[in-house]
Amino acid sequence: MELWIGALNLGFLYAFMTMGVFITFRIHDFPDITVDGSFVLGAAVTGVLLVQGVNPVTSLLVAFLAGAASGMITAVIHNRLNVNGLLAGIIVMTGLYSINLHIMGRSNIPLINQVTVMSYIDRVNPGLTPEVWMCLTLGGVIILFGLIMAWFFRTNLGLAMRMTGNNPIMAAATGVNVDRMKVLGVALANGLTGLSGGLVAQYQGFADIGMGIGTVVIGLAAVIIGESVLRMRSIYAKVFSAILGSLIFRLMIAVALAVGMDPTDLKLLTAAFVLLTLAASKTAAGKQAIKTALARFWPKLAWNWRKISAAVCLVLVLTVAGWGYKRYHGSPAAGPNKLYKIGVVQLVDNPLLNMTRDGLLGELKKMGYESGKNCIMLEENAHGDMTTVNNILDKFKQQQVDIIVPISTSCTQAAINKFKDRPVVFAGVASPFIIGAGQSDTDHLPNVTGVYGGAPAQKMMDIVHRFKPGKIQVGSIWDPSQANSVFNVDQLQEIVKNDKGVTFIGTTVTNSSEVSQAATSLVHKGLDAFTLVPDNIVYSAFESVLKAARSKNIPIFINDVERLADGAFCAIGYDYFSVGVQGAHLVDRIIKGEKPKDIPFELNKKLTFGFNLDTAKELGFTIPPDLLAQANRLVGQGAEAVKQASHPTASASTRTTTPPSGQAASALPSAPVTPAADKPAGKRLVVFIFSETPPIMDTRKGVLEELTSSGVLKKYNISVEHKSAQAEFYLAQSIATDIIRLNYDYIITLSTPALQIMAQANKRIPQIFGGVTDPYRMGIAKSADDHLPNITGVATMHPVSATIKAIREILPQAKTIGTVWNPAEATAEACTYAARDAVKQYGFQLIETNISHVNDIPDALNALVGKKIDALFTSGDNSINLAVDFVGKVMKQHKIPYFTTIPSDAGQGASLLSIGADYVEVGRETARQAILVITGRDPKNVPIKNYVPKKMVVNEALAKEYGIALPESILKAAAEVKK
Amino acid sequence: MIKITGLHKTFNAGTANEVYSLRGVDLDIAEGEFVTVIGTNGSGKSTLLNAVAGTFLPDSGRVEIAGVDVTRQRDFQRAKLISRVFQNPFAGTAPDMTIAENLHLAYLRGKPKYPKTELKASRLDKYREEIGQLEMQLEDRLDNVIGTLSGGQRQALTLLMAVINPPQVLLLDEHTAALDPKSAAQVIRLTKKFIERGRLTSLMVTHSMSQALELGTRTIMMNKGRIIDDISKAEKQRLTTNDLLDKFAELRKTERLTDEMLEELRRDYI
Repeated sequence: MELWIGALNLGFLYAFMTMGVFITFRIHDFPDITVDGSFVLGAAVTGVLLVQGVNPVTSLLVAFLAGAASGMITAVIHNRLNVNGLLAGIIVMTGLYSINLHIMGRSNIPLINQVTVMSYIDRVNPGLTPEVWMCLTLGGVIILFGLIMAWFFRTNLGLAMRMTGNNPIMAAATGVNVDRMKVLGVALANGLTGLSGGLVAQYQGFADIGMGIGTVVIGLAAVIIGESVLRMRSIYAKVFSAILGSLIFRLMIAVALAVGMDPTDLKLLTAAFVLLTLAASKTAAGKQAIKTALARFWPKLAWNWRKISAAVCLVLVLTVAGWGYKRYHGSPAAGPNKLYKIGVVQLVDNPLLNMTRDGLLGELKKMGYESGKNCIMLEENAHGDMTTVNNILDKFKQQQVDIIVPISTSCTQAAINKFKDRPVVFAGVASPFIIGAGQSDTDHLPNVTGVYGGAPAQKMMDIVHRFKPGKIQVGSIWDPSQANSVFNVDQLQEIVKNDKGVTFIGTTVTNSSEVSQAATSLVHKGLDAFTLVPDNIVYSAFESVLKAARSKNIPIFINDVERLADGAFCAIGYDYFSVGVQGAHLVDRIIKGEKPKDIPFELNKKLTFGFNLDTAKELGFTIPPDLLAQANRLVGQGAEAVKQASHPTASASTRTTTPPSGQAASALPSAPVTPAADKPAGKRLVVFIFSETPPIMDTRKGVLEELTSSGVLKKYNISVEHKSAQAEFYLAQSIATDIIRLNYDYIITLSTPALQIMAQANKRIPQIFGGVTDPYRMGIAKSADDHLPNITGVATMHPVSATIKAIREILPQAKTIGTVWNPAEATAEACTYAARDAVKQYGFQLIETNISHVNDIPDALNALVGKKIDALFTSGDNSINLAVDFVGKVMKQHKIPYFTTIPSDAGQGASLLSIGADYVEVGRETARQAILVITGRDPKNVPIKNYVPKKMVVNEALAKEYGIALPESILKAAAEVKK
Repeated sequence: MIKITGLHKTFNAGTANEVYSLRGVDLDIAEGEFVTVIGTNGSGKSTLLNAVAGTFLPDSGRVEIAGVDVTRQRDFQRAKLISRVFQNPFAGTAPDMTIAENLHLAYLRGKPKYPKTELKASRLDKYREEIGQLEMQLEDRLDNVIGTLSGGQRQALTLLMAVINPPQVLLLDEHTAALDPKSAAQVIRLTKKFIERGRLTSLMVTHSMSQALELGTRTIMMNKGRIIDDISKAEKQRLTTNDLLDKFAELRKTERLTDEMLEELRRDYI
């Protein structure tokens, strides 16, 4: 019964908002989205005023006025600027988000200890169950409200308002100022919505910035549902249909919960229901069906609905009152040996909250509690909808749950507001004090206890100082609408304030798509370290922060250890799992007879602390042994060794003068390879690569070897820096712009995209390219001598023809060769053209398949395998290069020999034979071109060099597996034979 | 009662759809006069009516009603003085509201609308009596919404609504054009009755030559945004519909109307 009563109560409170939507949507004929904002505005205003000690009724009046003001703005924008009503609503709603945050000063105002309208109602309870009394009172208020609205719509003003929506031309002809009437109507609608928001905030015990999302949809659904139930044209019927719709909507949710439906599907159900209702009332057949159905089941209603509904109301009220009286005065059912019911509720499905829940349930099980045997466990998840949390709690009440365990702050807020008579054990709350659960660990609400703790900000800053000594800037990104995030950021700022060496800069975001921009902006402000507090949005877009941080080698310090594997440098935070475990022990103590009143709030006990060793290496950090010894989570290469030896063997070396070879390096430091700070005359050279594929890494290796061994770096005092676009075009663009901005003296670009993107931006700085197949195709040069004045380099065509020739030698019987390539890639196109010519020469047929993305490769390969190709050949395609191991594996499964033009492919075992350029040699040649420029030649006068140092690598092991005998000529010509 | 001087109006000025609708209209209508307006399509008849009603502001010129300069007043401000019946029977009533509610709002034309209930039994009796004049058996349907009425019934009701609170000026814009012949005749009969009874100053646009000659005390003919002929009551009694058509034929000569256009006029007006 509590579930149903609770649903009715919410329905009553939301009915004011529904009436507002009814006025805009049905009277003024435009769906006004402003209500999404004015609902929260009402709640915010009420919340702030209540905290100030203002009378709750007065606060509701102000909420009404504030809502009305926002509606007025929408209507004026709509009228005066001739903006579409829907758009005007969206504009005002968006603006209200910031305004609401300003009004509240934070994202959430707890009202648990405030005197509210609900407490007034409670005070005059004649002895019924509180919810039932509430329901009866609210029901009475709503009936009164409905009568007032119906009366209003029949007054001269109300009639004029209705006419304005129904026929504006006519309204103007009878002397009604249509614009002004619209302002009045929309203001009234949003005023009611504000009132509704204020009431809901008082009822649920807090105002929250997120509580308005989807308000307009709920309102529209309620209006439409109500209309379909009461299909009469009388204005009384219309007004009450809106109220009824609001009740039915809430009851639908209650039904869904009662039958155990996942609340996730609720919105879909609503959409389907509303759509069906609309469709049925729009089509003639549908109308007829409804009429017949109504006539059959409710024959007299059409002409006597007032009496009937009055009778129904009376019966309902009497039943509810009678039941409520009996229950409240009857004996409680709790005996000493009964099964304890434990209800766990969480707001959203998120990995961290799930860990806490799992910790809790796991530990309870360990302690011998088993659902169905000696206790009953109920788990519910609101899937992010705050109102659903209330429904769930009502359901718990109905099921007579003995102990409520809310996980996360907002669930806890709702729970401590709803339950005064049974224990509430919270977990995963940053601070129970800001939500009014208590004043100190021991002085708290008598039925509430739990486990709390924010992020260990002081400890985090201590560690930051170990790696970044001196004056530094740290930065955070957070969502101001998450109470926990705001709390933790406040804590962090508090600590930083007392720390002279540190300045704090922060950026707020409202959704995950903004995180990337926020992170980049912080990086541009010269951040030294990211200090991220727990925040769902930032965590979900962690990759964006990582990318921004990597571009400038900024370490990320974070609270969530799970992010270490994603590339965070250091994590220090409370262990979410152990929070659950602690909570389980509190539950156990209560079941064993302790009173929550006597159990102090517990701080999270266990810290997790860890590093990512790979990231450390990239950043050039050496982790001090004492910290390594403290860490209980290490990620990356060497982590095992450290753990076993429990002393730092694998801590990363500091900056190196030669970069690691191809495969090992994932992201090189972009800091100077040779420190050049003391030599003012020094010049700067940047090596810009697009992606970290083996050929490019080899080329870079060659470049660096040659530059170093030739001695030019020393002689001309040149420092070398590295940039990599991580195979992302947008990143490449920004790097290119950055290179221009930083005004390097020389640029070496390796790979085709790096050349193209850099050339686009660079009109002046000498640029030398390498690892490029065909610079002539992309407008860099017309011929070796005729090229862009500041750009020269080395062109290395893939030895396609030589490879096809080798295929003929190895497979004399073969007829068809398959190939896969991406037509969007210039190099792949060039190579395929060459292959088409070569197959003719050597008597093959070439079967081509196109791809547009790495993800297309499996299908492309399957297609080729289906065509029974004798061999596979790929060349010059970046997508394939990234997936070459996968391609090799698939070919091995089908025993199809695979040939490429990258020697390392055969070395790795992906291909049977590969003839390609020796990219280390290409690199050396590129460096030689660069040296010409460095020693004073104008790039304009340095011709592009066509240079293909062929290198053949054969994998004999693979050949044996396939039963292919490699001809002597091949084995002789090969630079490398893998046995 | 109505005094119009040098009225000019161009719609969509400066665009490809530019229409120069009124090109200097001067008109003086005395109290109690019932003027019918005829003219070819696009000659500016309806625009003239709308200029009086105030649905747009003129580019230049002056409109006076009952001695008050209303040139800069918006339509809802002029509603105190003017009531209107539109060509479209759906335009004059609010379809989702009841007959009584519509009548009541018409009764409140030009008065401030306060939040008070006036639609009570005594008032309803008065409306029931008024609606009896229509002789359409609508007396018992005061609580029905307008949407359930036929086009003819609606237009008759709109006419009643226009005169229930007698205006200084009544504007009728081809208000029978969209009705079937029987309903049209009925509405015309009512129009005559209401105007004569209240001695209302009226301006009626029509497409029917016979209506133009039969009804009213004066007829004006418009062409290309100007009044080209002003026929007094005495003159009207001598004229036949053919004489009127001859006037159009004259127009043909001076304005070089094509034969098709003349034929169109014949179809429209006979």
